[in-house]
Amino acid sequence: MRIYAACVYLFLYTPIAIIALFSFNAGRHASQLQGFSVQWYGRALNNPFVMEALENSLVVAFTSATLASIIGTMAAVGLHSVRGPVRAVFDAIIYIAIMIPGIVIGIATLIALVTVFDVINPWIAAIWPRVEAAPQFSMGRGSIIAAHTMFTMALVVVIVRARLSSIEGALMEASADLYAPPWATFRRITLPLIAPAIFAGFLLAFTFSFDDFIIAFFVAGSETTLPIYIFSSIRRGVTPEINAIGTMVMVVSLVLLIVAQLILRSSDRKKSRK
Amino acid sequence: MAYDAPMEAATPVAELRSVSKSFGSVMAARDLNLAIGQGEFLSFLGPSGCGKTTALRMLAGFETPTEGEVRIAGDVVNDQPSFQRPVNMVFQSYALFPHLTVAQNIAYGLQQKRPRPGRADIKARVAEALETVRLEGFQDRRIWEMSGGQQQRVALARAIVNRPRLLLLDEPLAALDRKLRKEMQIELQDLQRSLGITFVLVTHDQEEALSLSDRICVMRNGEIVQIGSPQELYDRPATRYVADFVGTSNFFEGRIASKDGARARLGLEGGQVLSGSCGPGLNVGDRACMSLRPERILLRSEAGDAGHPVTVQNRIFLGEHTEYLVTSETLGQVIVFAPRQTEQEGLGYNKGDTAWITWRDDAARILLSEQ
Ligand SMILES: Nc1ncnc2c1ncn2[C@@H]1O[C@H](COP(=O)(O)OP(=O)(O)OP(=O)(O)O)[C@@H](O)[C@H]1O
Ligand SMILES: [Mg+2]
Repeated sequence: MRIYAACVYLFLYTPIAIIALFSFNAGRHASQLQGFSVQWYGRALNNPFVMEALENSLVVAFTSATLASIIGTMAAVGLHSVRGPVRAVFDAIIYIAIMIPGIVIGIATLIALVTVFDVINPWIAAIWPRVEAAPQFSMGRGSIIAAHTMFTMALVVVIVRARLSSIEGALMEASADLYAPPWATFRRITLPLIAPAIFAGFLLAFTFSFDDFIIAFFVAGSETTLPIYIFSSIRRGVTPEINAIGTMVMVVSLVLLIVAQLILRSSDRKKSRK
Repeated sequence: MAYDAPMEAATPVAELRSVSKSFGSVMAARDLNLAIGQGEFLSFLGPSGCGKTTALRMLAGFETPTEGEVRIAGDVVNDQPSFQRPVNMVFQSYALFPHLTVAQNIAYGLQQKRPRPGRADIKARVAEALETVRLEGFQDRRIWEMSGGQQQRVALARAIVNRPRLLLLDEPLAALDRKLRKEMQIELQDLQRSLGITFVLVTHDQEEALSLSDRICVMRNGEIVQIGSPQELYDRPATRYVADFVGTSNFFEGRIASKDGARARLGLEGGQVLSGSCGPGLNVGDRACMSLRPERILLRSEAGDAGHPVTVQNRIFLGEHTEYLVTSETLGQVIVFAPRQTEQEGLGYNKGDTAWITWRDDAARILLSEQ
């Protein structure tokens, strides 16, 4: 049984370990180790294409995570005060949104955006004073942000909802009893209590967006995010530089995920200490 | 002192007029009528699920009555949300804000009040409230760093700092252990008297209600059964339910044989006739029962004039008094509390002894039997 478990872990983590190991390879071949070096990290960070892709990825991840946190929190708070079958239906929709494969979301978003753009663009051109200067919607950062916001919002809703339902309802009543109108209760009681969950949701959303390849690939248009860059480079062969980028992406994601977990845990612990 | 003011001042602080509340098919409150006077300490007493919390929550503004009027200081407040009512509540779970310090918790109501008192004023009043509940020096503590009893004091301070017209307390002491509860009961009473704030307390602990309240409102199945001072409820219960719920009592079932004003005679099944005082609403022939408090029964070694012969079944020493379980052929099982003094006269009875019980005429109360 132990051997079996060990095999599973070996199988899971060997490829990742190899990528990390070869990213420190002094040689230029991805298949044989030739001493330790960090030169590939330097190369990767000085490569203008990599930096542009990284910037795109960061902007997309930050913007979509921010939007998802705001919209997702509002949705969670709204849902929390709804009861009965309506709530069950919306809960189901949220969970389904999380379980739908990325490829379906990618295609669906692509088709939806293209259709909308086809309708809107001629319309804008028609009412714009100078036709040749009329702004036209097209695929790009905006569409990736939209697709990522949609998907990661569901994550935020689930996390914030869990937190909301763990808050004692009497706290809101106590606040109302102490002369606070609903908005003041939200700002001074609800928001501070769910803040850790919102932040954890933000980090998860950020990580998801930063790592996502499938959805971005469909809706990116001519833009390149870091995962798309890696994918296109691999077609030209795996270089230690790619290994270095992959390792960096992995470390950043892991750190963010761990931080999110720690935030959720510690805020739970404080509450249960009572 | 406000406490000495007459109970029924011109305008009651709060009033329930024919108030009913239903949750779907559950009638949680039915036709409640009640006026709460300025400076009064009133308790809602009743078993679990009888609607005490519902009544309190309608005063606080967390529930809207299905029918009837809730009035505060003479105004109908049915549609006034809780944040606009000059009423504060101490929650059973305390409901202290976990992300705020003790001082911030206490200052919360003052900060939300409109017009908002000045910073210095708030600070002074928070300090004063901390002093009132004897928590000086705890202002910067976190809520989860406080013991249960201390949290309870914070909850109390958070409410009284606002000087509400009416302070509502929903089983505030239920989570405390027995000793601490006794201490807090005394503190609550002192506080109420010194502040002159009207208190409405919900409890299912009859001892607590009896020792603290000016008036007690006994509830059952969403209805008010009787309102009165602790002594009234104890000595002149309106129904068997009240007599049973407030204190301990012996009940002897029978039918009303004759009635003469406030006195009646009850015919028992065995043919024996007992007499006692009675309230209104009883007619000759009604099924009724006689309620007799155990501490008002005398246990004697000789028959006397009107003694009922009994056999001692059990004896339980309880410190300040001894509890005897005796059986009589005509009355069945009877509980008798014998105070220490009688014991000391060498009149301790043992299991199997024969003795006689008597009681003064005014100790017996004849009540309508329900169900
Ligand atoms: N929000 C609600 N929805 C449905 N039913 C309710 C609600 N609140 C109370 N009830 C019902 O109304 C009745 C009275 O409840 P209430 O909480 O007032 O009782 P209580 O006297 O305070 O009891 P306890 O001593 O157990 O606190 C109960 O039967 C309860 O189930
Ligand atoms: Mg209750």
